[in-house]
Amino acid sequence: MNMEKLIGELRVKIVEILNLPDVTPADIPLDGQLVGGELGIDSIDVLEMVIMIEKDYGVVIDNKELGTKVFASLRTLAAYILDKSPRRAN
Amino acid sequence: MSDVPVYIAGLGVVSALGRGLAETLHALMHGRCGLGPLGVFPVMSEAALPVGQVQLADDGDDPLPRTHRLACLAAAQALAADPGPVDAIVLGTTTGGILVTEALLEKGGADPAAFRHHGLGTVAETLARRWGCRGPLLTVSTACSSGAAAIALAMALLRRGMARRVLAGGVDSLCRLTYFGFKSLQLIDPGGARPLDQARRGMSVAEGAGMLLLTRAAPSDGALQLLGAGLSCDAHHATTPHPEGRGALAAMQAALADAGLTAGAIDYISLHGTGTLDNDLAEARAVTTLFGERPPPLSSIKGATGHSLAAAGAIEAVVAALAVEHGVAPANTGLSTVDAPLKLNPVTTPLRTPIATVLSNSFGFGGNNAALVIGKGRGPQASSAAAPPPALTIMAAAGLTGVGHGQATWERFAAGGDCAGCLDEAIVCQGLPPRTIRRLKRLPKLALALAAQACGGLPVDALPASVCLGTAWGALSETHDFLQRLFESRQQFPSPTDFIGSVHNAPAAQIAMHLGARGANVTTSGGDASFEQALLAADLLAADPGRSILVLGVDEAQPVLAPLLDPSVRNAPLADGGGALLLRRGGAAGPTITLLAYRHDSGPAAVQHLIQTLGGAQAVRQSYGVILAGIPAAHAGQAARDLSTFVAESGFEAPVIDYRRAIGQYAAASAVAAVLALRLVQGQAVPAALAGGVEHPLAGKNVLLLGLGAYLSAVRIALP
Repeated sequence: MNMEKLIGELRVKIVEILNLPDVTPADIPLDGQLVGGELGIDSIDVLEMVIMIEKDYGVVIDNKELGTKVFASLRTLAAYILDKSPRRAN
Repeated sequence: MSDVPVYIAGLGVVSALGRGLAETLHALMHGRCGLGPLGVFPVMSEAALPVGQVQLADDGDDPLPRTHRLACLAAAQALAADPGPVDAIVLGTTTGGILVTEALLEKGGADPAAFRHHGLGTVAETLARRWGCRGPLLTVSTACSSGAAAIALAMALLRRGMARRVLAGGVDSLCRLTYFGFKSLQLIDPGGARPLDQARRGMSVAEGAGMLLLTRAAPSDGALQLLGAGLSCDAHHATTPHPEGRGALAAMQAALADAGLTAGAIDYISLHGTGTLDNDLAEARAVTTLFGERPPPLSSIKGATGHSLAAAGAIEAVVAALAVEHGVAPANTGLSTVDAPLKLNPVTTPLRTPIATVLSNSFGFGGNNAALVIGKGRGPQASSAAAPPPALTIMAAAGLTGVGHGQATWERFAAGGDCAGCLDEAIVCQGLPPRTIRRLKRLPKLALALAAQACGGLPVDALPASVCLGTAWGALSETHDFLQRLFESRQQFPSPTDFIGSVHNAPAAQIAMHLGARGANVTTSGGDASFEQALLAADLLAADPGRSILVLGVDEAQPVLAPLLDPSVRNAPLADGGGALLLRRGGAAGPTITLLAYRHDSGPAAVQHLIQTLGGAQAVRQSYGVILAGIPAAHAGQAARDLSTFVAESGFEAPVIDYRRAIGQYAAASAVAAVLALRLVQGQAVPAALAGGVEHPLAGKNVLLLGLGAYLSAVRIALP
């Protein structure tokens, strides 16, 4: 999987699982603040994304400190998944 | 502050540290840790997390769930020295029979009888049967503060003179929901809880029970008293405490004020201290704000017991009593290096020191906070209960049924029509902010919609400070979905959002956040009497004069679980909804609502007693122009017999309306009925369709809301 495809996929999944009102996948910025910003994504959403990322990509993010770094932006999230995913060869 | 002393006449405790006061004290004196491997249900992953498990013999013959058995063990201890009947039971629990329910659902169990101990209220019912209590039962579910909140409400019952002996406490068993739920929130320390430690990573889930026999009369062997209690709500976030510990501070201040003490009178603080990053920091900040840089000795015992959720506050109340009796402050087990930003110096080895007064903290999800003050009494005092306070005035009301919000429901009801059904969620949520409801499922949506309808357009100073919400089954959609995903993913991927939403007090916490209600926030759950229990809690908590308090009854018809859990739902069309009443004591004119009677009782003698409580047959005939009778389908025979006894013995001749026929078969139907009763009394007439074809004028009389079945209750809705 390449970075661009993964980012597109994550945008769709984030909007879908977080049920964000009035947010479309395109609204999620690549480098802007992902959590705590205007999108309304909060710490509970982060935990929900953690589950999705483990389920769909086999990548575990099991503590808050790591989570803060990984979920800094959509780009950092995608990069972490690409780096750690056992399925990245797909 | 009250001048009515409340004595602690008996204590019972079961935890990972052992059974009974002697074992518990011995473990605490020696700084023993009770955490260990989980053996209550199978865990598939290789790395099971340590828990605080009670060593309980596997009794295959006992049909009671683990929670019920733990409660019975602790209650037997608390009542051992003074075993007479108790007037009331007030219990905090979050798990009820869920451990059995989980196992049944995983296997696809569909026999409703197997689920009969699911409801939170069945724990208190079990104790009531075993120890012969026919008085009020009150089951409080405010997550991890449930046990302490239950003790606070029991104290209010005693002070009000509504009981002289009350069994109060908290209980929870280990179960999949809490173990995997807290795991999904990353709130469990894989190495075992180490509260206040710089390396802490969370709590250890645990189980247990703590029970207190609270009395108005002084026991012969001591003067240990429950001196004060304080409740508050953060109204900040569904799970995370307010960063400065705003609600924690408010609860501690309220408890001290209630006890008539200043911070300087506290000799030991039993911290909530779960071991999560956020709780410990928020609590430390609140403690420092209240006690300054040099607080009294303090510690959390949750590194030793684990966090037994609803039991924790009650177990720690028992430990507080032991601390006073034996002059020992327990150690903060599990701690190696204190986290510097906390600015606290917890007790690291058990400390022998005279202790007269303890402050015990319990905080829960939803920002539901409770603090208790336990200690040596202030000596003999006048112990006459205060005169009954003025009735609660209804400032606003809202109802919701299958046909719509209040007005639509009233019109259908008044026309003799059928309101039963499940209202489309788009209509339920009209006017609610999309961001507020994006993570919510049906029950919190119903609750928020009712709160918004009842409080819409009110000025800030008229909004409620407190919320009391009764629900028989809690958030069934979230509970169902969490367990479903847990089973389907072989325990790997349950939803943290569903776990947060599954706790019984989540809807009331949502209301508190929506309305900024930072006072007491209490969720009650006692089967068909859940709304009546919320009304009782509100009556006990409402100050005179005070800010307004929102009382709700609400339940949802989750299609899989509702028919399995509620035998009244089984053979009826699915229906749900609820009612909300904004109440205020003192200083306002308007229609009033009064819980005149509420007992866990039925049969001819109980009905006779009820009529006497209402002032006798003549008073019933003169006071009431219509009866709204709650007849749960599962208890139809008993309820119908008791209703005809009531009508015959009182000589009541005005209309009697079986309201569940119109509203539907669900526990919160009585909350809808209360809202409809208000319309009847305001209109001063029973519409023809409900009165046998001819409009029946009320002629200044009131409406009586009669609850029948396993519980007997009477609520008066009256014009001023």
